[in-house]
Amino acid sequence: MRVALGWLAEWIDLPDPATLQERLTVGGLEIEDVIETGADLSGITVGHVVERAQHPDADRLSVCKVDLGDGEPVDIVCGAPNIAAGQKVAVATHGTTLPGGLKIKRSKIRGVRSNGMICSRQELGLGEDHDGILVLDGDPAVGTPLSEVMPAGETILDMEITPNRGDWVSMLGMAREVRAHFGGELRLPPCDVQESGRATSADVEVAVEDAEGCHRYVGRVVRGVEIGPSPDWLRGRLEAAGFRSVNNVVDVTNLVLLEYGQPLHAFDLERLRGGRVAARAAREGEKILTLDGEARELRREDLVIADGEGAIAIAGVMGGSESEVTDETTSILLESAHFHPSRVRRTAKRLGLHSDASYRFERGVDPDGQARAVDRAARLIQELAGGEISQGRIEAEGDPAPTAEPIELRPSRVNRLLGTALTTEEVTALLARVDIEARPGQGDLLLCHPPRYRNDVHLAADLVEEVARIHGYDRIEATLPSGPLAGVHIAPRRHTREAVRTILAGAGLTEIMTFPGAPPGDVDALRLPAHHPRRTHVALVNPILADDSVLRTHLLPSVLRAVRGNRARQIERIAVFEVGRVFVGGPDRPDDWHDREPLQAVLAYCEVGHDELWSGTEVPIFFRAKGAAERLLADLGTRHEFRAGSEEPFLHPGASGCFRVRGRPVIEVGELHPQVAEGFGLEAPCAVAVIDVEALDGLGAEARSYREVSRHPRVRRDLALLVDVDQPAGELVAAVRKKAGASLLSAEFFDRYEGRGVPEGKLSLALRLVFQRTDRTLTDAEVSEAVDRVVDALRDRFGAELR
Amino acid sequence: MAASVADLERILAEAETAIREVGSAQALAELRASYLGKKGSVSTLLRGLGQLSAEERAEAGKATNEAKKRIEAWVAERKASLALDARAKDLAEHRLDVTLPGFAPPRGHLHPTTQIEREMCTFFTEMGYGIEDGPEVESDWNNFGGLNFPEDHPARDLQDTFFVTGGNVLRTHTSNVQIRAMTGRQPPFRFVSPGRVYRNDLDGTHYPMFHQIEAVCVDERTTFADLKGTLFAFARHLFGAEAEIRFRAHFFPFTEPSAEIDIGWEGRWLEWGGCGMIHPRVLLNCGIDPERYQGFAFGMGIDRTAMIRWDIPNIQLLFDGDVRTMEQF
Repeated sequence: MRVALGWLAEWIDLPDPATLQERLTVGGLEIEDVIETGADLSGITVGHVVERAQHPDADRLSVCKVDLGDGEPVDIVCGAPNIAAGQKVAVATHGTTLPGGLKIKRSKIRGVRSNGMICSRQELGLGEDHDGILVLDGDPAVGTPLSEVMPAGETILDMEITPNRGDWVSMLGMAREVRAHFGGELRLPPCDVQESGRATSADVEVAVEDAEGCHRYVGRVVRGVEIGPSPDWLRGRLEAAGFRSVNNVVDVTNLVLLEYGQPLHAFDLERLRGGRVAARAAREGEKILTLDGEARELRREDLVIADGEGAIAIAGVMGGSESEVTDETTSILLESAHFHPSRVRRTAKRLGLHSDASYRFERGVDPDGQARAVDRAARLIQELAGGEISQGRIEAEGDPAPTAEPIELRPSRVNRLLGTALTTEEVTALLARVDIEARPGQGDLLLCHPPRYRNDVHLAADLVEEVARIHGYDRIEATLPSGPLAGVHIAPRRHTREAVRTILAGAGLTEIMTFPGAPPGDVDALRLPAHHPRRTHVALVNPILADDSVLRTHLLPSVLRAVRGNRARQIERIAVFEVGRVFVGGPDRPDDWHDREPLQAVLAYCEVGHDELWSGTEVPIFFRAKGAAERLLADLGTRHEFRAGSEEPFLHPGASGCFRVRGRPVIEVGELHPQVAEGFGLEAPCAVAVIDVEALDGLGAEARSYREVSRHPRVRRDLALLVDVDQPAGELVAAVRKKAGASLLSAEFFDRYEGRGVPEGKLSLALRLVFQRTDRTLTDAEVSEAVDRVVDALRDRFGAELR
Repeated sequence: MAASVADLERILAEAETAIREVGSAQALAELRASYLGKKGSVSTLLRGLGQLSAEERAEAGKATNEAKKRIEAWVAERKASLALDARAKDLAEHRLDVTLPGFAPPRGHLHPTTQIEREMCTFFTEMGYGIEDGPEVESDWNNFGGLNFPEDHPARDLQDTFFVTGGNVLRTHTSNVQIRAMTGRQPPFRFVSPGRVYRNDLDGTHYPMFHQIEAVCVDERTTFADLKGTLFAFARHLFGAEAEIRFRAHFFPFTEPSAEIDIGWEGRWLEWGGCGMIHPRVLLNCGIDPERYQGFAFGMGIDRTAMIRWDIPNIQLLFDGDVRTMEQF
């Protein structure tokens, strides 16, 4: 809500703006913006249009002789349709910069010299354009600076109103809040009316047929009005509040809405059929053309205002165009009602039709404010549009609005909750500042009566908040909880999840996080077979991006898209991972939420042309992913076995494998299947590991215990083996470990070679064996014997020859 | 005989010069061998002593041994000086371009949100709080109803909600964990719930996913003053001992009184989070007697905290997967 401080000052005395803003802010009125109007008008002067002539070469342009009070009138070309001789206008001359930033220069427009510009409201930063240029009222002296003629600049506070405070959404509410903080007397604008002529009830009768939906319906009739534009003061107020001026009658209803927070509606009385209005439930399928020009179809749960023949307004939301006030209107019916908040909200929400009226009804209007507002509006309409206010209000009631019960409050409870030491008198006085009357009850009990306009105060806690708010949160001291401690419980999986993150970052990978909304086609892009469990998903009813209409069932696509994004940014070496939940959908969703939202981690390497200053040999990318997976499992303290080949359809069948722990697959690693890589637009080689964090969490770490380190020398033996090219090296190492005996410390390949000097179909592998015992020094003979056993075994089982 | 002594004198004179002039450790070793080795001139001379009389042999032997010692001494001296020369030469000649970059194993990075979340959880676990978790696809009750968001109330508009099939929502805050952790249990409670939350909002400053941490403390006497003190301590843990925070009255359905928390940062107040005393209806919804028990809850954005701390201008930067951003942290 936008509140002009100048206007608010008419309702109550204000402190200086800084103090006001500070107190309102900490009191719960969040000031989102402070708008200073009355933009810089320096350099703009009052001019007199002495003469207006048609531009010789342009139909829509006028050439005006404008007297600026400093000598000969000057020529100015103007494009506004409403320009006329005799007008007093705002002129920006050569060298002036308009509030919008436009700098005025002498120029030729279609061949005619123009010595300045005649300005519109909008160009001056004073509001919206309506007719073209701003024509100044009254008779300001020619040559006067415009800043002396126009109303001084205004400070407007744009405030966010929390949904519990419907009573704040008005000047009256703002004035009350100022009074709560600073004291003072409210000055309400006058509401008394001069009635004359016929009785209102002679023209129209009113009924509430849906008693739940409409608590009260009040009407007034003003006859003989003359519809026209509103005066500047009224337009100024509405525009400052963010409303558009329509005509004097509609503007008055909006002004009173701003003043008292009571939505009003004006009907053209002549266009009402049957001489009656009723608040009733809509008929299923009933149609209405609303003021915004849209045809709306209604349902039984909607509340409408109907005349003798059909719906003429959607109650509390928007009026219908059939009964709209037009320039020809002469008699009006003013509606001031109290509709049920939830009914208005449901209808507004379903129709996507949110108006200033529905905004206020949803939040709750003052149940006693209808008569005052309709009187105020009738009075203003009479002032501005003339006419006669018919005698009496017409009024009908539905179910009464819920009344607040008195609330019991113990000041000791206030202090117990806030940590304060307020006395009963202090509590009573603080409550009085927000119109809550606290009467002494039994003992130290206070019986508190909130005002009818507050619909958010029901419990002792609500009163405590008012006490704290007005007392000032800043005056409550800061202490630390002193209550008993419970045992510290850490959510399951957290330790494993965080360990995975730490280890992968430690292995040189960079963590990313991505939004889990995904296109349903991701499962196809992963080549998942039909009926794969990851094909059932949870769908988003209202996705933010139409494509991302389901929650991901697999983390890999998100990570691959991130890899592609980084490739597009020309990053040459990409090593990323994400740890995140995936979502299990379908009718057989597990009961335990942990099983419905299992944790997955995916790491990916993608590299192109990584020439490096100190580079060693180039590592095939698969082995980077495999190495990271091995590091992860080792650091988690689990023993694993690795098997060549993965069953995951998104991995390359010839360059993939699976890590198992105690027989359970925990990590699938591999190069991307070329079709998957293509599907995700990845041209550079890419290897990934898909980590089942749930499975890792279930495993727990192997118990660690110290292993004796040896004081005796190591003996190293290197073997150069010729093997078939397709011989898996892992099998050789496994056989070596088995045969070499207990003295073997390690067996590792340190070179791999095919090509010149190696027969076709063969591969040379260099294997380093290291022997060491903890109890004594090994003899040459026993090492040689172990090596012979190894060599024999490799020859017998794999046909490996020493080179 | 005379000849051999004369020979020795000659050999010695020659050796002294040769050793002094020899240019490398290897040449020195060869030179030494040429005198003292098995076939060296001094050794040969010594072997010739057999032909002499006992008396002569003793004298000549003594002279020869004397000569051996002198040669060894010259060799040792020369060896030391050659080593010094070699060290000096190395120092004079070995030059690396030390301005070339060093070589380190590749460095990985934890996401800024992860880093801040860990700092936050460290603070709270040290203060005796547990860490609780809950689902991201959540029932209406746990995300709204139980937290005192009435049906058909504009409070529901406070958060743009993602609805999913099955009548559930993507949780809009981690307060769902409040309901889950408290229902069926009795205070005292102290826990935090960090995690991902979702709002259907995407523009220059909003992203549909972000991270929140909520802290809950319930017992028989925890006050609003305790809430303030805890938040001051927390802010100073994250932002340094000078950090200032401010409380603004606000509305949240699940707390009463409620406040928004601003953090003073570089001369401005920045919105940081929300807090309040847990609403009695929320306690009742969890089966806890609000007459006996009371306590606070507060929550803030983890990403937002990272953004404030590290001047990250836009939340989208945290979730677009751009490693150039992540590698700065």
